[in-house]
Amino acid sequence: MTDIIKKSDTPEEREFELRAHIGSIWSGGRLFIGMYTFLLASLAFSYFYLRSSNNGLLWRPNHITAPTAYGWTIYSLTLLAVLMAIYGQSRLRKGGVSEWQGAVWVGVVASVFALFLQIWEFTAVPFFPGSSGYASTFIGYSVINIMTIFIVAYWLETTVARSLRLSKELGGTAPLLSMDAAAQSFRANVASMTYFLGFVALASTLLFAMFYLL
Amino acid sequence: MTISAERPVDVEASVPPANVEASKGRAGDWLSQHIGTAIICGFLGYILGHWLGNYIGNTYGNIANSGQNSIAVTLALLFMVIGWLLGIGALNYPLAKMIGRQPKGEVEYTGWSRYFRYNLDHKVVGIQYVVAVLGFFFTGGLLAMAIRTELLNPTVHVFAADTYIKIVSEHGTIMMMMASSVVVGPLGNYFVPLMIGSRRMAFPRIEAFSLWTFVAGYFVIFSALFFGGFPTGWTGYAPLQTQAGPGMISYLFGFAVISVGMMTAGFNLAVTIINYRAPGMTWSRVPVFVWSMIATAALLTLASPVLFAAGTFGILDRTAQTAFYVAEHGGSSYLWENLFWFFGHPEVYIMALPGFGIVGEIIPVFCRKPLFAYRIAAAGMIGVSLLSFFVWQHHIFQSGIDPDMRPLFMLTTELISIPTGFIFLVGMGTLYKARIRYEVPMLFCMAVYFNFLLGGVSGVFLSDVPVNVTVHGGFFVLSHFHYTIMGGLIFAFFGGLYFWLPKMTGRTTNKKLGLWHFWTMFVFFNLTFFPMFVIGLLGQPRRVFTYAKNLQGLNDFSSVSAFCLGASFLIFVANLMWSQFIAPEKSPSNPWDSLGLEWQTATPIPAYNFERIPVIMTDPYHYSEVGAPVLADFGNAPPVHAASAATDSTDPDQ
Amino acid sequence: MGSEENHFRRIVIIWVVLSIAGDLLFWFLVGPHIPPGRMTSSAKDDQLDFNILMVIGLPVVIGVFEWLAYAGIKWNARNKDTPESVGGPRAAGNKRAEVSWIVITSVVVIFLAGFGTVELYVGSGSGGGEGPNPILQPAGAVQAETAALAGTGTWSPNSNEVLPVQVIGQQWKFTYRYPTFGGFESSDLILPVNTVIAFNVTSLDVIHSFWAYQLEVKADANPQINNVAFTRTEQLGSFEVRCGELCGIWHGAMFNPGHVVSQSAFMTWATSTESKNAANTKILPPFAWTYVPDANGADGGYYPDNVVPYSPVEVYGSKQPS
Repeated sequence: MTDIIKKSDTPEEREFELRAHIGSIWSGGRLFIGMYTFLLASLAFSYFYLRSSNNGLLWRPNHITAPTAYGWTIYSLTLLAVLMAIYGQSRLRKGGVSEWQGAVWVGVVASVFALFLQIWEFTAVPFFPGSSGYASTFIGYSVINIMTIFIVAYWLETTVARSLRLSKELGGTAPLLSMDAAAQSFRANVASMTYFLGFVALASTLLFAMFYLL
Repeated sequence: MTISAERPVDVEASVPPANVEASKGRAGDWLSQHIGTAIICGFLGYILGHWLGNYIGNTYGNIANSGQNSIAVTLALLFMVIGWLLGIGALNYPLAKMIGRQPKGEVEYTGWSRYFRYNLDHKVVGIQYVVAVLGFFFTGGLLAMAIRTELLNPTVHVFAADTYIKIVSEHGTIMMMMASSVVVGPLGNYFVPLMIGSRRMAFPRIEAFSLWTFVAGYFVIFSALFFGGFPTGWTGYAPLQTQAGPGMISYLFGFAVISVGMMTAGFNLAVTIINYRAPGMTWSRVPVFVWSMIATAALLTLASPVLFAAGTFGILDRTAQTAFYVAEHGGSSYLWENLFWFFGHPEVYIMALPGFGIVGEIIPVFCRKPLFAYRIAAAGMIGVSLLSFFVWQHHIFQSGIDPDMRPLFMLTTELISIPTGFIFLVGMGTLYKARIRYEVPMLFCMAVYFNFLLGGVSGVFLSDVPVNVTVHGGFFVLSHFHYTIMGGLIFAFFGGLYFWLPKMTGRTTNKKLGLWHFWTMFVFFNLTFFPMFVIGLLGQPRRVFTYAKNLQGLNDFSSVSAFCLGASFLIFVANLMWSQFIAPEKSPSNPWDSLGLEWQTATPIPAYNFERIPVIMTDPYHYSEVGAPVLADFGNAPPVHAASAATDSTDPDQ
Repeated sequence: MGSEENHFRRIVIIWVVLSIAGDLLFWFLVGPHIPPGRMTSSAKDDQLDFNILMVIGLPVVIGVFEWLAYAGIKWNARNKDTPESVGGPRAAGNKRAEVSWIVITSVVVIFLAGFGTVELYVGSGSGGGEGPNPILQPAGAVQAETAALAGTGTWSPNSNEVLPVQVIGQQWKFTYRYPTFGGFESSDLILPVNTVIAFNVTSLDVIHSFWAYQLEVKADANPQINNVAFTRTEQLGSFEVRCGELCGIWHGAMFNPGHVVSQSAFMTWATSTESKNAANTKILPPFAWTYVPDANGADGGYYPDNVVPYSPVEVYGSKQPS
């Protein structure tokens, strides 16, 4: 890999590589949203398809619902993590690095707690997984939500960890806000992450409504 | 405090991704991470998962009574894959990121041991993919030989009924998993950066991750044979899927793993093509192979998550006892059908599009003419990619789907043959009044047109709902998809391999063996699969071990041809071994005299691809054009063995 | 200029000649024998459809193959008199060729889609399974099916009534119930000629597919679903039923013969079987479109044994016992 860097030794080439890299983070983040949409759409499709088929009149006997307390808590925590990221991003844009870090740490804690609760919820469901279409899709939703919250927590945590490392490595007065290539890359990552988290908030709202409110 | 706009920072300080201490590793570094450690860690993971699954599941009634523990199998395979990825080093960076550190000791290996490691050079990953893909292909091929052996006689059976169905299912699944990455993996990863004038892929770690996941997927699906196989065929219909033994988990989880590999490969390709095109490479100058790669990447990234969900639900049905696909408990067998085929149709275009791209790339070189109607070729590929999401129910016309949908899907399926047909326009136009050099790669491309025509036209028959009643579920549809996937994609893959191997390895392939391989493969392929159209029309269903006695003649003809087809691949292997390892001959830098950007590099290609990032001035198809513009400005470095546009020299050394 | 027209014109002339010859040969020599034959209305419809598709498809295949052959013979570098390739913008595109291609392929394809739709409607589904709510039904089908479920269906020779036949797939055998004759269940599929048959296909376990080859009927058998397909028998003879969807180990062995007999012969067979099987029919589950265990136990409540479901897990809505 160093060969590549050494060879990229004209300023134009380095500028080009940097722009390509920043662009990749932007494109990649948006593409990831698209991919995740299809995954969640599969889940939503399963929900509505089984609901309309109502095979054996077993879509949702007695309008059984998963424990709403868990649902509200997990949803709120996820939303909190997202809101913290958005708030942090707006502060970062104005130069408030430590505020951003603080907000993201809160987000990390919130999402880890949400993850734990989502796993623990399996012990609290009042129905057998195969007892109805709703039960099956709910279990599927829980598994996918575990994955989603994990991605959220991971992305938040690794970004804030990276910010700490970069601050140390780059030095200077405001390393993360500088025009250094690593700093630019970092900020692009934060922007993509926030955008993805916004998507997660939207999707979580829809799914929460489907499984707990409808 | 606003973002500082002080002095421009020296970009060299850390060019993202922020870098590593490159210390050169010695090839014999046995204690580092390589495929050996991956195997060991995978094995340990397997044991751990299996034990955990038994610990959790042995008290459950249904497991204790049946003696089959799908939970143990699932966890065993899951931990095996995680162990494998840990062992090869694919998870080093993701884990290190959590503590904000760069992975320590990301050394740079040279020499042959690179190919057995987690390597970030897209060219190394490309070659690793070649080996992986060929491994998949020959495994699936051996299983095909077994199938044709069984079908030699309708009453004398070589295999027991359950063994036969396992072989059929395994053959289909392995081939489909292989085919989804057969071009994107090896040729896409290797050549897309070179074709767009880039030094690298956008996310090299994700690219290498996709390869090692792909290989892990092979082991997972192969493990089915040790768990008693699975009886559903590659389509995995529920509730047979729910009824099956633990081998079914290998299928479901295997698909989940492969879908992750597909998603990551497609993601990386798409982002690279969008962002890393060299200066001057506008969309109208992008080589047609790259167009096919981005069209394929769109499908890989967006369709695979649906497969992942479908497989996950299937695993939940079998382990957590949910009832997604079991109608008696509130689920629906149609749910699997819809989810699977919503992925399944884009999947087959994931297989067709790269073939179109290769053919479009190779034909101009040997015709010494520009690609005819380049814009239509690109539009065709994007059109196919888009429309492929709207045709999936043509696989399930008689399943009991909403009958209002049938004319709709018939229409969309017929419509998709319009952009598919564009590739024929482009090919025929390029061939028109050319002076064609029939080298081995060109022969394979012509065969693609021949085969895909039969495959495509038979597809039109299948798309027609009334005729579909005759031909669905039998050997007609089987022949259709073998003609399109094997006749189209696999022939194109071999054509691409013969074309690009001299650039990848710096060694020519033997022309005589190549010609033998091509002709035997082409002739016997057609002799094997054309009779199957007839067999299908005469009423033989798929996946059966017995059939009407009067069809034995045709079946035998097909089987013997299939054995010969299998043998033709031995010629390829012999060519590969001989020309690459046993008696290699150095290849000139541009043996085919191609104008492609990937050929304007030295052989072997240096790690940094291009001495200077080229500035692109035109598209690479200006063959035989008086006063053609120069392809690119390579900066200070002289273009290496630049091909001549104005002449159509047949001397590869010019 | 001259040689340019020569090539294209030559190709077109050869193509026209070969296509007409091929189409005529196919239509008159091969067409009438295209499977699945002419035993039923759907067989005839689908055979016609196939032949039309072939007549349109043959010229396409001939065209491309001819072009490839021409490229191999006339435009081959090995040929000493093949002129050098000429590049440039004229070789890179030709508006007329491109537009003609797009227009012709679009027209052909849309015509085929329209033709297929018409055939589908005219043939009342052309023998394909339409699911539990078919939209393309022959006259009298709705009444016959409704009456069958209510147990009031009748059928007699020369009455032009639709005959409902239920096909039950299970691993690994098809059985057939005749609701208009008391709902007896038989392993034999006997059908009267010149009658519209309504096949009601369902499964007891996994997905099968009822494929009556010469009848040109194909409908998947799904558990809990009644998949309806129609056809009209028009010739006497035997036919073969094969399972068309992989259903497990013995999928390949899941086939049986069937017969189309005269209406009087069918009536005789049906009524005598009805009386012969009367004792058995009484203990079968009553005729229904699907047969599945209900939510309260594997016995589905069909067998009046007053047995409590054998596992509390089967009473849905309650927690799994510890």
